[in-house]
Amino acid sequence: MTDIKNIKHKAFLYDATRCIDCRACMIACSVENKIPMDKTRIWVAGVGLKGEYPNLDRASMVYHCMHCEEPDCMSACPVGAYSKREDGPVLYNKDVCIGCRYCMNACPFGVPHFDYNKGLIDGAFIDKCTMCTQRIDVGLEPACVATCPTEALVFGERADLIKEAHARIAAHPDRYIDHVYGETENGGTSYLILSHVPFSELGLPPLTSKPVKEVSEAVMGLTIPFALTWGAVLTGVTVGVHEYNKRKENAAKQTVEAEKESEDAK
Amino acid sequence: MTNLISRRDFLKLGGAAAGALAIGEFIPPLAAKAAREAGTLDANGDGYIPSMCEMCVWRCGLLAKVEGGRVVKLEGNPDHPHSKGKLCPRGQAGLMNTYDPDRVLTPLVRVGKRGEGLFRKASWDEALGIVAKNMLDIKQKYGPEAMVFSSTHNLSQPLFENLLQAFGSPNYGTQRSLCFNAMTITNIMTYGTEEPNRDYSQVKYIILTGRNLAEAISNSETQDLIHAIDRGVKVVYLDPRFTKTAAKASEWLPIRPGTDLAFHLAMLNVIIGERLYNQNFVSQYTVGFDEVANSVSQYPPEWAAKITEIPADTIRRIAREFAAAAPYALAHNGWRTSNFVNSFQTERAIAILNALMGNWGTTMFPAGAEGAGLGAPKQPAYPRVSALRLDGVPWKYPFVPLQYGVIQQMRDSVLAEDPYAAHGWFISRQNPAMSIPDRKKTLQTLSKLDFIVTMDIIMNDTAWFSDVVLPEASYLERYDPLNVVGNRAFLRQPVIEPQGEAKSALWIYKQLGGLLGLGDYFQYKDDEDYIQQELAPLGVSLDQIRKQGYAELPESSSNIYRWSTPSGKVELSSATLDKAGFDGVPKWEEPPAPKSGQFYLLTGKGARQTQFGTQNNQLLHKYDDEPGLWMNAKAAASQGLDDGDMVSVTSDVGQIYIKLIATQAIRPDCVYMQPGFGHLSKGLTTAYGLGSSDSDLHVTFTDPISGGQALSQTFVTVKKA
Repeated sequence: MTDIKNIKHKAFLYDATRCIDCRACMIACSVENKIPMDKTRIWVAGVGLKGEYPNLDRASMVYHCMHCEEPDCMSACPVGAYSKREDGPVLYNKDVCIGCRYCMNACPFGVPHFDYNKGLIDGAFIDKCTMCTQRIDVGLEPACVATCPTEALVFGERADLIKEAHARIAAHPDRYIDHVYGETENGGTSYLILSHVPFSELGLPPLTSKPVKEVSEAVMGLTIPFALTWGAVLTGVTVGVHEYNKRKENAAKQTVEAEKESEDAK
Repeated sequence: MTNLISRRDFLKLGGAAAGALAIGEFIPPLAAKAAREAGTLDANGDGYIPSMCEMCVWRCGLLAKVEGGRVVKLEGNPDHPHSKGKLCPRGQAGLMNTYDPDRVLTPLVRVGKRGEGLFRKASWDEALGIVAKNMLDIKQKYGPEAMVFSSTHNLSQPLFENLLQAFGSPNYGTQRSLCFNAMTITNIMTYGTEEPNRDYSQVKYIILTGRNLAEAISNSETQDLIHAIDRGVKVVYLDPRFTKTAAKASEWLPIRPGTDLAFHLAMLNVIIGERLYNQNFVSQYTVGFDEVANSVSQYPPEWAAKITEIPADTIRRIAREFAAAAPYALAHNGWRTSNFVNSFQTERAIAILNALMGNWGTTMFPAGAEGAGLGAPKQPAYPRVSALRLDGVPWKYPFVPLQYGVIQQMRDSVLAEDPYAAHGWFISRQNPAMSIPDRKKTLQTLSKLDFIVTMDIIMNDTAWFSDVVLPEASYLERYDPLNVVGNRAFLRQPVIEPQGEAKSALWIYKQLGGLLGLGDYFQYKDDEDYIQQELAPLGVSLDQIRKQGYAELPESSSNIYRWSTPSGKVELSSATLDKAGFDGVPKWEEPPAPKSGQFYLLTGKGARQTQFGTQNNQLLHKYDDEPGLWMNAKAAASQGLDDGDMVSVTSDVGQIYIKLIATQAIRPDCVYMQPGFGHLSKGLTTAYGLGSSDSDLHVTFTDPISGGQALSQTFVTVKKA
C-alpha cells in the first residue's frame, strides 16, 4: 500500500452495503479529535428503516465533511477562513473566522455547524471534519477509517478509489445503484459513496456536476463588501451575547455560593 | 450551540452527557512506566503500547497510542486475530471506561442501610481485614459452603476460582447459565469441545439462527461475516426482529420465537430424506445416524411450516441450497442461546446439521486449548468439599460443568435456604443485581445475607447493595494472566498507572488469600512475577514480550478428526443424554407461548453496550440510541399506542415503565428491549435513570439439561402508562 503521506489526492470511499451502523467511527473521531461530549463531527444520516413488515430494508450512512474539490464553504467565506489543501482536506481557520455563518448556508451538505455558545474570544465558531490531518500527515489513516470493523470506510488515492468503486459495481450490479456519488457531484468530492438504495435515502442532496459555488461566487462578488460590514455587526452582537452569558453564569455562581454560605451558616 | 446530532434528528444525546468533558479535556494520562521503559516509545515519547481490550469477552488486541509520553487513543492491534487492526465502538470508547468520573478509587465500607448508598472511604488494610474477618466468621459458624462466590468471564477468573476452592466452598456462579450454556454443552456432547472455531474464508452459505453479528459484535467474526457477504456468500437469518444483521442478510426469516428447533428438524428431515448428506463423513466420523434419521422422519417441512410460520417450500429450498454448498456451509451455533426450554435441543439440531453436511474441517475446526503450554505457580491440593452445591450442579443439573454453574438456581436456593442457608456472597466483576432474572428476588436475596463484598471499577448495582466495595484497576491499568489465542500468548499490561488506590485482581486475591490463611495458593510475588511464571516454560521474560505484546507458543499439531466424546466420534445421537433420561436425539418440544393480549419479551445486544457494565460509559452513551421498548407499529396502533408513549410492561413477576418505539422491524406478537438499562445504583451518574431493566420482568425458568435460563420465555402485557 502507498504510504498515506505520499497519496497525492486523498479521499474516502464509503460503501453503505458494508456499514453496520456500529458507530465506531464516530467514537474514534470523538476521542482522536477531543470533541466535547455534546458535539460530533460524524453523524448517521438517511431514512433508516424503510418498508413495511416483513418487507424491510435499511438506508443509512455515516456523514461528515465531503471535502469538495471546489468547496462552497470556501467561496462563500468573506474572510478566507477556509482553504482546500492540495492533497484533499478542506480546512477551517478559527483565527480568521468572523462567525458570519455564510459557510453554513453555502454548504449543500449542511456540514459546517456553528457554536452559538462561543464568541470570538473563545476562537472557533465552526466545527467540522478535518480529514484528521494530524494523522494523515504522519502516515496514518483518519481515525474513522482506521477503526471501521467492516471496511465500509476505506481511504486512499481518489482516482484509485473511483476505479475501485466502479469495479465493485461491475462485480455486483444487482447490489449497487450504478453511480459513485461524489465522483462528479458539486464538481467532485473527496468523500465517495456507494449505495444499494437511492442516494436521496441516505440523506444526500441531488447535485449536478456544476459546483454551487459558481452560482454563489457570482453573487458573492457583490456581497463581500456587504458581508464584511455585516460580519462586523454580527461580531459585535456575538461578543455582546458572550459577555452577557458570562455575566449570567457569574451571577448564577454567586447565587449558588451565597446559598452554600447561608447553608453552612445554618 | 444547539446539539448537533439532535438538531439533525439522527442520534439523540442524553442529558447526562451534555456538558460533560471530552476525553481530551482531561490531561491525557502518562503512559505506564514499565511499558515506556520497554522501548515502546521513541525519543519524542511517541509510540504504541500493546495490550488487550476488555469491553467485552472477545478480548481484542489493542494498541494504546502514546504522544509525548501520554496516552491519547486506542487502536486495534493488527497482530491480534480478534481485532485485525480494528476496534468496535466499545473498544474505541475504552479510555472513557478508565476515565469514568464515577470510578471508585478507594476501598469503601458501608455506613448506611444496605442499598442506601452511604459508604465511607477505607484503607486497603482495613477493607481487606473486614472482608477476611467476615469470611472467616461465616466459615467458622456455618462452614465454608455458606460463602457463595460469583464472577463473569475474565482473565483473572482462574485466580478467583482458586480463592473459592482454597476457601472450600462449592458455591460458584458465573454468567454462563444466562448466556451460552445451551450452545457450549451441546458442543461438548456432540463434538467434545465447548465451541469449535468457525472459519469464513471458504464459506459459501451461512445460516444464522438469531446470531446478530452486526449488533452483538464479536469484532473479527463480524468482520468475517461482512466480508463474506461482500464476496456474495448467501446468508439466511432467522430472527423475529429485523436487526442490522437482517438488513445485511440475503434472506430474513421472521420466525416465530421458540420454534427454531422445528425449522432445523425440518432441515434435517429434508437432508436425510433426500439423501443430501455427506455419506463419507457420516459413516467415517459419526455415531447415531440411524437414530437421528428415525426421529426426524416425523418432521417434514409442511409440519414445521405451521409451527415456525416459515413456508414449507422455503425450508425445503434452504435445506437443498445448504446441502449444495456443503461442505463450505455453516449453520452458526449462536452465542447467547438461553432463550427457551428447548434451546439445548435447538443447538443439538444445528450441531447435527453441520456434522451431516461434513462442514468439519472446512468451516468448523477444533478450538485450541486455552492456556496450553504455559506455566503456573505451584500450589497445594484443594481441601475436600462435601457440601452440595446450592445451584444443583451436578445433583440436579448433571451436565452443567462445575465452572459454569446455574446462577439463577443459586440465587433461588440462597433465598429459600434450601438445601442450606448461605450467609455471605463475594462478587467479582459481575452485576447479579442487574443480570439474574426476576430482580425483585435477587434484591431480596442480597438483603438477607450477612455479608456482601463486590469488586469492580465502578459502583455497579450489586456494589451499591454491598458492605464492602473493592476498587479494581481498569483493564488499561493492570496486568492479567496471559491469554492464548492460536499459537500466541497475549499480554494485558498497564498502559496507564492505576488511578487512585485501585488494584489489580491478581493483587487483591493474593492479599485476601494471605489474610484467610490461604497464602500457599497464591505463590507469586506480584503480578509481574505471576506472568513470569506463566512464561517460564517458553524461555522468554515479561520484559521481552512487552513491546510485541505476545509470546510465541510452540506449534501444536493434532488430528482434527478425533473428538473428545465418549465414542471419539461426532455424536449425532448421544448415549450420555439417553442414559440420564433425556432425548439422545433432538425431538420437538413445544415451548410455552403468550396468551391472547400478551407478547413475547425478546432481549438482545446492541452495538454500543456489553451486557450490564458499559451503560455508564459517557462516550457509548453519547452515540447510543435511547433505550425503549420495540413494538410492531401495527400492533401498537391496534392497542391505541403511539411511538414515544410511556408504557407499563407487566410480566408474572414484575412491572416496568418505558418509552415505546413503534417500528416495522419486529413481529406483531413480540416486543423487544435491550438489556443493561434501568440501573439502581445512584453511583452511576450517566446510566442511572436511563431506560428500564429486562431483569425486572424476566421469569426464572431453567432448562434441566443445560441449566440455561429461558430468557425469551417471559410474556408481557403492555399498557399506556
